[in-house]
Amino acid sequence: ITSVNGGIGLESLDDSATIPIGDKEIVFTVDGHTVKPIFFPGGDIGRLAVSGTVNDLAVMGAKPLALSLSLIIPEGFNLEDLEKIVKSINETSKEAEVAIITGDTKVSDGVDDIIISTAGIGIVDRGKAIRDCNVQEGDAIIVSGNIGEHGLAILLSREGFDFETNIKSDVAPINKLIEKVLNEGIQINAMKDPTRGGLADALNEMAEKSNVGITIFEDKIPISDEVQSICDILGLDPLTIANEGKVVMAVKKEDAERCLEILREHPLGKNAELIGYATKEHKGVVMETIVGRRIVDMPIGDPIPRVC
Amino acid sequence: MGVKIRVKGIVQGVGFRPFVYRIAKKNNLKGYVKNMGNYVEIFVEGKKEDIENFINDLKNKKPPLSRIDKLDIKEIKETKEFDDFYIINSENTKEEEEGTIPADVAICDDCLAEMLDKNNRRYRYPFIACTNCGPRFTIVEKLPYDRENTSMRDFPLCGECLKEYKNPLDRRFHAQATCCPICGPKVFLSDGKDIIAEKDEAIREAVKLLEEGKILAIKGIGGTHLACKVSEDEPVLNLRERLGRPTQPFAVMSKVEYIELFAEIDKDEKNALVSLRRPIVVLRKNQDYDKYFSKYVSNLDTIGVMLPYSGLHYLLFDKEIAYVMTSANLPGLPMVKDNDEILKKLNDIADYFLLHNRRIVNRCDDSVVKKVANRLVFLRRSRGFAPEPIKVDIENNKNILCVGAELNSTACIVKRNKFYLTQYIGNTSKYETFCYLRDAINNILRLTNTNKIDAIVCDLHPQFNSTKLAEELAEKFGVEVFRVQHHFAHAYSLLGDNNYFDDAIILSLDGVGYGLDGNIWGGEVLLFKDCKMERVGHLEEQYQLGGDLATKYPLRMLLSILYKAIGEDVFDFIKGYNFFSEKELKLLKFQLEKKLNCPITTSTGRVLDAVSSLLGVCFEKTYDGEPSIRLEPVANRFKGDIEVEPRIKNNVLNTTELIYKSYEMLLNNESREKIAYFAHIYIADGLFEIAKKIANRFGINAIGITGGVSYNKIITERIMANVKKEGFNFIYHQRVPNGDGGISFGQGISYLFREG
Ligand SMILES: [Fe+3]
Ligand SMILES: [Mg+2]
Ligand SMILES: [Zn+2]
Ligand SMILES: [Zn+2]
Repeated sequence: ITSVNGGIGLESLDDSATIPIGDKEIVFTVDGHTVKPIFFPGGDIGRLAVSGTVNDLAVMGAKPLALSLSLIIPEGFNLEDLEKIVKSINETSKEAEVAIITGDTKVSDGVDDIIISTAGIGIVDRGKAIRDCNVQEGDAIIVSGNIGEHGLAILLSREGFDFETNIKSDVAPINKLIEKVLNEGIQINAMKDPTRGGLADALNEMAEKSNVGITIFEDKIPISDEVQSICDILGLDPLTIANEGKVVMAVKKEDAERCLEILREHPLGKNAELIGYATKEHKGVVMETIVGRRIVDMPIGDPIPRVC
Repeated sequence: MGVKIRVKGIVQGVGFRPFVYRIAKKNNLKGYVKNMGNYVEIFVEGKKEDIENFINDLKNKKPPLSRIDKLDIKEIKETKEFDDFYIINSENTKEEEEGTIPADVAICDDCLAEMLDKNNRRYRYPFIACTNCGPRFTIVEKLPYDRENTSMRDFPLCGECLKEYKNPLDRRFHAQATCCPICGPKVFLSDGKDIIAEKDEAIREAVKLLEEGKILAIKGIGGTHLACKVSEDEPVLNLRERLGRPTQPFAVMSKVEYIELFAEIDKDEKNALVSLRRPIVVLRKNQDYDKYFSKYVSNLDTIGVMLPYSGLHYLLFDKEIAYVMTSANLPGLPMVKDNDEILKKLNDIADYFLLHNRRIVNRCDDSVVKKVANRLVFLRRSRGFAPEPIKVDIENNKNILCVGAELNSTACIVKRNKFYLTQYIGNTSKYETFCYLRDAINNILRLTNTNKIDAIVCDLHPQFNSTKLAEELAEKFGVEVFRVQHHFAHAYSLLGDNNYFDDAIILSLDGVGYGLDGNIWGGEVLLFKDCKMERVGHLEEQYQLGGDLATKYPLRMLLSILYKAIGEDVFDFIKGYNFFSEKELKLLKFQLEKKLNCPITTSTGRVLDAVSSLLGVCFEKTYDGEPSIRLEPVANRFKGDIEVEPRIKNNVLNTTELIYKSYEMLLNNESREKIAYFAHIYIADGLFEIAKKIANRFGINAIGITGGVSYNKIITERIMANVKKEGFNFIYHQRVPNGDGGISFGQGISYLFREG
């Protein structure tokens, strides 16, 4: 069995599942977090664990209610680090205004580093959950801010790159930002958080599941100069790099401008941009560049050279 | 007696039926000839010896452009039904059999003479054509090749043209593309907004503008060129800047009587140039070249030249001896062909537009050939050749669709022993070009009457768009996708090209291909034995620093390889080139140490790139293969010979040694020419050494070379000399492009050799 009461189930591979009860639906998700290093510019594993789960609920259009927290800690783990992580968890849940109502801690010699699992429960009106498979032809595609920051910050700090950079992870709970947009009556047809695989993955998945194509414009995609220049040097595609505090929305065309305004009023949405449109003219994701249109692939791990 | 004859081959659009008519009349026979879409049916009755003479004429006197592949002759009873010999209108056949679509043919001498004759009614009419010449493939919408199935249907024949068309003794009898100034397409000249001249005045005005140094977009037969004069720097530089092509050599169009002024040409090259297929032929510049050409036309020691192939082209020549004639496309995108599109997309590039109102149905870029190892090989097989099938002596009863690789792409449909390659498609990583590939595939399926596909073949690379298209089509046709490793496909293409299917060692050398081990290959020694292909040797594995970026910026390859030899000192050395900023160098060091986005490659192209940047020849690739292409003329300038001792271990050629030796020579102030030559010889001799050893071990007597690197004359001819000196047979291309344009063909051959 992969779904309950006709709700969204496992087979949808959406950001969360739902259980319809009365005129509401309970929205439910779980995520195990490991990250190397556990402290990185802009955040730490604690903030990541809370944000990841809150965001998975929020991009369903749900109001996150509560989280559970399960820590698996390797033997001999530094206590100060643990304290810092717990403190960060608390701060982040306060920021998101989501309670942590149950938890568990295990010490194990079977793990190399700390693992944090968080499950989350949210609530949404029956039938109002926002899927990632409902992009409509003509919808405006909006991304809530600069992309690629989390993945690149992690990569550089994991590999010990000590050169001066300002790149920080964007990890943050974005439920308040999304709530604001929903409260203003903006019609969001589909929503997804572009985490692993980055924007390229999120857009491809939304397009495929919704059976539409998505055209985006290279010059509209918000990327900081720093991320762009480091990607340019390393040969990485910022579209494929993970984010942890961003959302991609497919918004009814008429609502797009107002949606952008609302997003930009919020500090987490100040770099929001309309990056493209959904179309029936093609399948998949196609990006307009200064020299023609590029097909944006679903990322598959490391990039593979293809140029002669 | 009576006989029914079926003729298969190239029998449409080449004046075949009028020819049959003439020989039937000559031999006093009655009956008919009928175009059946994919073959011609003839019925003749009369005296036995007349029929015998007729069949002899059919075999021996056929029109120059026709080709008979198969002749079925069946004796039947006399009918006495016919009072004369007739040409009967075309019929569509129901049988699913491939037809033959003739390729485009350059204007013939007869039409050219008429066009230049003041008293002819087609004087200076650029669309003049007859049964022996004119567009075919580029205007055909479907089979059979009859006027109503081409874009000439927009131009109903006038009375006089119709008379010619219907007269069996006229040169234009059933010439599907015939027309005249009264009824045919018209040219006009636009400044981008308005039409400023029409008909002959448009042409005369265009010539004037070209002579003034303006850049013109010229819509020709199967596509559009950007043209300017070659004798001054400014127009050429303007064109380069506007096109975003800083260095890629431009092809030129010139007249046959001028070529020897600026280029060296031998008999084979001349034959290719004047042939009715009219490819671009890459010629060596002569010592007077600089007198006539701006140095910005080509920075190599060669120049690609073609002769005019349509009436319009001839009319462009007055004072100038040559024009730049480059395909009108932005880098990576298909050439523009429709008037609206030309005006819109080339708005910022051309000053004026010489257009006409005939639709181009199938875009077809110019073909390009070059003489390497005493043979003309295809750099690009397109106009004048596509979509004529290539026959291979191999048995097959399946319809196999092969989608090719990604760059210089072509697709191929295999039916029985015929391989129908599409025209040149280009770089399918671009969406527009990807769509072009899809259209070209649909088109070739239609033109070969193919409704059923039994298998689809694609490259092994998981991210090629052609791979995705293959999967999509496989679903549509309900068949399986068969994936072929890139360099195996190159090798199979070489075998099929030569109808050679015995054991052989094949050097499959190019820039990039996805390997069976998930790494990037490109310097592969392959063993074809007992109908199986196997990798038995290769170039040393190197890190491709930054993935595709290392292809764009060859200093990255130098950095990565030299780092293996001299360690951290390499950073100071690279700094000397003043190419990378402090920050970049620091990140590159980090990247190299951590092996971040550093895929492993055995590519020959990347090693030549590294040498090219080491010698300061090229620091940035602006077109495919640029660093190594520009390295070749540097090596060519070296006179003399040198000994190399390639380092080989376990059939792997050590390329770090190559780069280190080159670096050492540079520090010792050896000439760049010598170092460049050394690098070529090291690769050629090293790979031959490996091939020889394996050949001897398995008792194999043939060694071949394929892949993009086999366009390199120094490497290819050195390997050929070694191969012949040691008594092996040398296998090299002739009908199929050496590079990725031949991959689709190789995929087809490979499928036929699949196991099980
Ligand atoms: Fe290749
Ligand atoms: Mg998620
Ligand atoms: Zn002619
Ligand atoms: Zn006419």
